[in-house]
Amino acid sequence: MRRRKRKTRPAQPALKAKWRANIDDHPIGLAWSPDGKTLAAAAVSGPITLFNGDDGAVQHKLPGHVLDTMAISWHKDSRLLASVGQDGKVRLWDAETGAQRAEMAGGSSWVERVAFNPLGDCLVSAAGRKLRLWNSCGELLREYPDANSTITDIKWRHDGRAFAISAYNGVLLYDPAEAEALRRFEWQGSTLTLEWSPDGKYIATGDQDSTVHFWMADTGNDLQVWGYETKVLELAWSFNNRYLATGGGTQAVIWDCSGKGPENSRPIMLEGHQQLIKHLKFQRQGMLLASGGNDGLLAIWKIKKKNPAMLADAVFKAPIASLAWSPDDRCIAVSDVSGALSIAALRRI
Amino acid sequence: MNTVESRVPVTVLTGFLGSGKTTLLNRILTENHGKKIAVIENEFGEVGIDNDLVIGAEEEIFEMNNGCICCTVRGDLIRILGHLMKRRDKFDYIMVETTGMADPGPVAQTFYVDDDMQQKLHLDAIVTLVDAKHIWEHIDDSDEAKEQVAFADVILLNKIDLVDPEDLEKLEARIKSMNSMAKIYRSRDAVVEMDKILNVGGFNLDRALEIDPKFMEPEYPFEWSGIYQLNTGTYEWVMGEGPDPAMGAALLPLANMGLAAQEATLMDAVLTFSEDEQAVEGGEMLRLGKGQHNQLVLNENGETVFNFAIQEPGYYMLFTEHHPDEFDARLGGAEPVLDPLETREYKPDHEHDEAVTSVGITIRGDLQLEKLNGWLSQLLREQGQDIFRMKGVLSVRGLDKRYEFQGVHMLFDGRPDRPWENEMRQNKMIFIGRKLDRTALENGFRECLAS
Repeated sequence: MRRRKRKTRPAQPALKAKWRANIDDHPIGLAWSPDGKTLAAAAVSGPITLFNGDDGAVQHKLPGHVLDTMAISWHKDSRLLASVGQDGKVRLWDAETGAQRAEMAGGSSWVERVAFNPLGDCLVSAAGRKLRLWNSCGELLREYPDANSTITDIKWRHDGRAFAISAYNGVLLYDPAEAEALRRFEWQGSTLTLEWSPDGKYIATGDQDSTVHFWMADTGNDLQVWGYETKVLELAWSFNNRYLATGGGTQAVIWDCSGKGPENSRPIMLEGHQQLIKHLKFQRQGMLLASGGNDGLLAIWKIKKKNPAMLADAVFKAPIASLAWSPDDRCIAVSDVSGALSIAALRRI
Repeated sequence: MNTVESRVPVTVLTGFLGSGKTTLLNRILTENHGKKIAVIENEFGEVGIDNDLVIGAEEEIFEMNNGCICCTVRGDLIRILGHLMKRRDKFDYIMVETTGMADPGPVAQTFYVDDDMQQKLHLDAIVTLVDAKHIWEHIDDSDEAKEQVAFADVILLNKIDLVDPEDLEKLEARIKSMNSMAKIYRSRDAVVEMDKILNVGGFNLDRALEIDPKFMEPEYPFEWSGIYQLNTGTYEWVMGEGPDPAMGAALLPLANMGLAAQEATLMDAVLTFSEDEQAVEGGEMLRLGKGQHNQLVLNENGETVFNFAIQEPGYYMLFTEHHPDEFDARLGGAEPVLDPLETREYKPDHEHDEAVTSVGITIRGDLQLEKLNGWLSQLLREQGQDIFRMKGVLSVRGLDKRYEFQGVHMLFDGRPDRPWENEMRQNKMIFIGRKLDRTALENGFRECLAS
């Protein structure tokens, strides 16, 4: 990676707060319901607050998990919210009534990951090495053989017909209809997170050993890039499959996957954060990238090959803990680690 | 930059099965110390105990390659501790228990390789529990036992009620020779004051360097000694054919069986072996006493008999250049074979390398940080697997604060500490590991001085 001179300059403030709230705790996840009407904010100590996405009115306060909530995920029809936590449970909540609809055992004392199929009616949970597939009534559809080590991430392919998990030693690809893994992408290292390109061609991973991998999902070929300052937990694809934004340092590193792909290419570097970047999210249908860092900076970037620019920024008092674009891409929900939550609308730029 | 104070201290507890780790943990959790402690251990699921929290963890060790640095870390700890650090009601203290057979390296290294961990946590101390009675079964042949001793900042000699005081002295001496940096405490039933193991604060190099490093692991010119109780009379030292045609030997009086007397005689033997040797042929008299360095010349074939006479009955210590077993050697007299009351083996120079030792270095003057980094990077690239731990308090040119420094295998980390006060600015550094070459380390360290 090469440093380039800072050419970007903050434009006119383009973020305007729509509403603010404080959950008074470290949020482990902010998740918009697919219809954009509800924002779920899960606090590390357990409770999950459901806010009205328009005005921030609290719709429900779900108890969550007694010993810490670890992840949340919405059902495609915005009716159900799944949560997992350190009580060993997967819980399904009715977003309309706030009632718990199901409680399932994750298989180990810490259930760390949960992911609803974005187009289907099932969800996958991971607790330690246990991987389980459930339907939205909470019935166990399949229990997979234990993974080699703790499962660090689960992500569905955008068409909902496959999902991948990461663990030490790489990535496993599953078809929800099959008991056996379709493919293994092996790497002698601890893979921490993965992200499908929207067209399903690539699985990008971030690793503890400060590397990023581009796995070709159909051939299993691996392109590895290194030179990151630290482990890489931040990955985001642009909707058009062109760019992969990666963190792992104080500069966001953007790989261009168009044409011949990222191999031997020089990435776009975004400079502006003073401390480690902890969150990167692309818009769902736009080319704006949001970054949040330990320096409390939220920055909105316009990604283009030449002269990428920081269009807007806002500074929080504490490190950014979570961020999420609304489904219509018009707002971004951001919280710092103290629980100060801000929903900002993006002025037309 | 986070200061040391804002980070949550972590204690790593190691020790073989049965050394008393569980007893100690239970004591820590139940004692009213006013601290909120999270314990990560191997056996139980997550339980809240009053203010404290116990989390069960399955050790997940993996290798990490990062440029030229290769190390093993505990993936489960990165996840669990990363999550604990998000909680608002922060813990005052975190304890990590390792399994009995664990090499403490991966746990310790975990705190150096991960930025999140480094920002929020600091390794306060590695506390090793030693079963004073059973450690002898492991200490010579178990790498894990050696590593647990070598890595420790604090060593708790537990179950001292099961061993006699002399054995305890020996054990303590042995442990000091392996790790001169650690603070050593003795306990029964793992009873120890909490402030001895919590918030130890890492650096107390002065103590480690108080012991003259030259005496930490002396290189003995002999491999074996035996203590005999001898009456007035004549004796025979009979040797068969062996790997060498001759062997050095010294026979010295020993005041009593106590450890102090043995050490005194040992020092006499070292001096004796430094004298010019005097050849003794078969059938000749072996010379007795301090300064008498005998060179026993063996017959070309068969056994060779050397004689000596004892005028004053009492204890005697026979030192031999090689192990008597290599020559089927034995002491006889009125009885055909006299067994020694006690024997001790000394690691010869060439095998010495494999032993775990400490090298402490103190030099005056100011260091140049770039030079130090360069030297350490090279040293650790070449010898990182054998250097278990390093610690230093350094005087860096242009810095009015003490520079604290520590490392585990190939990883190291340094930061400014408190200002120098009414004390001499100097550099203290200690290395613990295998195959340590004192001269090379000293010279390398000296080269880092600002010119």
